[in-house]
Amino acid sequence: MKVLIVEDELALQQGIRDFLESEKFLVETASTYLEAIDKVMNYPYDCVLLDIMLPGGSGMDVLREMRENQVKSPVLILSAKDSVADKVAGLEIGADDYLAKPFHFAELLARLKSIIRRNAQDGEQLLQYKNVSLNPELREVKIDRNPLVLNRKEYDLFYYFMLRPNKLQEKSTLAETVWGDHADQADNLGFIYSQIKNLRKKLKTAGADCDLQAVYGIGYKLI
Amino acid sequence: MAISVKNYTNRFVSIAILIVMAVWAALFYAVIMDEVYDNIDDGLKNQKILIIREAYNNPKLIEESKEFGINQFVIKEVENLQEKVDQNTFSKEFIYMPYDEEEEPYRILRTGFYDPSGKPYQLEIRTSTVEEDDFLLNLAISLLVLYVVIVLSILVINHYILGRAWQPFKQILKNLSKYRFGKANSFVSVESPVLEFNDLNNHISQMIDQNEKVFDSQKRFLENAAHELQTPLAVSINKLELLLENSSLNEEDTVGIVEAKRSLQRMVSLNKSLLTLSRINNQQYAGYESVTINEVIANLLNDYEDLIIYKDIRLDLQQDGNFEVYANPDLMQILFSNLISNAIKYNLPAGELRVRIQSDAAIISNTSQEKALNPEYIFERFYKGSQDHNSNGLGLSIVQTILEKYPFLHIKYSYQNNMQVFEIKKV
Repeated sequence: MKVLIVEDELALQQGIRDFLESEKFLVETASTYLEAIDKVMNYPYDCVLLDIMLPGGSGMDVLREMRENQVKSPVLILSAKDSVADKVAGLEIGADDYLAKPFHFAELLARLKSIIRRNAQDGEQLLQYKNVSLNPELREVKIDRNPLVLNRKEYDLFYYFMLRPNKLQEKSTLAETVWGDHADQADNLGFIYSQIKNLRKKLKTAGADCDLQAVYGIGYKLI
Repeated sequence: MAISVKNYTNRFVSIAILIVMAVWAALFYAVIMDEVYDNIDDGLKNQKILIIREAYNNPKLIEESKEFGINQFVIKEVENLQEKVDQNTFSKEFIYMPYDEEEEPYRILRTGFYDPSGKPYQLEIRTSTVEEDDFLLNLAISLLVLYVVIVLSILVINHYILGRAWQPFKQILKNLSKYRFGKANSFVSVESPVLEFNDLNNHISQMIDQNEKVFDSQKRFLENAAHELQTPLAVSINKLELLLENSSLNEEDTVGIVEAKRSLQRMVSLNKSLLTLSRINNQQYAGYESVTINEVIANLLNDYEDLIIYKDIRLDLQQDGNFEVYANPDLMQILFSNLISNAIKYNLPAGELRVRIQSDAAIISNTSQEKALNPEYIFERFYKGSQDHNSNGLGLSIVQTILEKYPFLHIKYSYQNNMQVFEIKKV
């Protein structure tokens, strides 16, 4: 998977690069408008992470250039300007998704994967871990061959775990990415605990080989 | 009680005119009476000369003039005259006048003379004079009429002229009342031929421009500051996330990093709220459409479902009507999201959340640990009821800011039956 990060803030660019490389992506970077144009016009990418405010021009213009020149690489806009108008404008000129800064890497990864999945030619891309498989297309979880019925939020929660098995998922990050701002509440940590407990119970009853393990009380990982 | 400037001057004008006219009437009366008596007395003196001359030439006249007859004089014989024969004494007496059938005032001249034989006579000449009381009464009546006419004319003239002259002032007041802070164009300046009103107008316009500039730069500062914070926050959070990926960390370090990240996360949410506030103020939520609040609330309750179940809150949703408003759907979403999120956040475990929707209002009530809140402060920025480290103190202030954009929506807070009640009402 080849990804281009267009971001002028070098610390942020480096951070995203390190993270995506740890997720086995092939990463290239651009930090100015011209550099970005040069790269997107000449190489195909599985996804372009595009910042809006760039030295020398706007990320929106990069996107417009791409679409006018039939460059089909999917684009995920990363912007500090979290405004509805910007989001709508970005999606209208052909962005695939929009993520406001600051974001969690877990969320970035989920969005990135779903963009790549949607644009992939060969369709079905199952996430597989031990005897559990997850089909993002159908939002379906199977243990061995038996479907596991999860409600909407339980599925979303489990999807994050399946994206990165064996990696620590922080409670507050999970709460925020799955429940959005609504979970930004006093008792969200206890709340997550109860949701995880339900999920664990379902996995166990269905005979899954994997389990969700609490880590120091700061988060969970799928093992 | 304050009165209009027109009536304010009227009071003084009518009193002043009354005083001036009274003084003028007194002087006028004195002068006129003096002139009248002067004329009458001159006439009497002239008659006296004519009579005495006639009496000298025609002594029969003395015999014929023992009584007042057609001639308005009498000549009486006297023993001895007072020392000064020629002295004229004037007096006023009331004498019956058949025409009027009453006593009327007469001016009387008494004097004396000697006939050619040296015999002393007293001469009394009378003539009808001004009826002072009638004159005074007539004068008073005509002055009163004059006074009323003048005052009425002034009132009418004032009413029209002052009304016209103050018209620009009234217009300025009217335009000022339409002025909304943050919208410089909402004050329309008024052209007037009156110098003072033009001055007033210019000063108000200048003041508004000045205030708007300050307000504008503050708004921009808020937005820029919030924006500029996003990137360093993103960098810090992502760096900490990368550190957490590092499996060689011990428990203590991990917990430390997670705590640091949570603090940053709180800053992010504070920043988001500030940005939301400044966006609402900067008219970035401009679109209007008909929004059904019932749907907005239903969606929100659906989003909050897990949390409501987790907190074991009893939800009581009662829809008595369809509450529709013409507003920006995103703002309505933010508005009710803040209210409902508060009602859940500050609820008691196993508490109660009541949502009641009517055709012109939505009432959200919840049980809470807090007693009645002070409605004067709760909508202020960064006001926190109790030491609540999970709140950024901006939720209700955002609600307030949204409502300022929609003057037809009012919020009312009350504390009833141990419940915090927020009512959004369309008026």
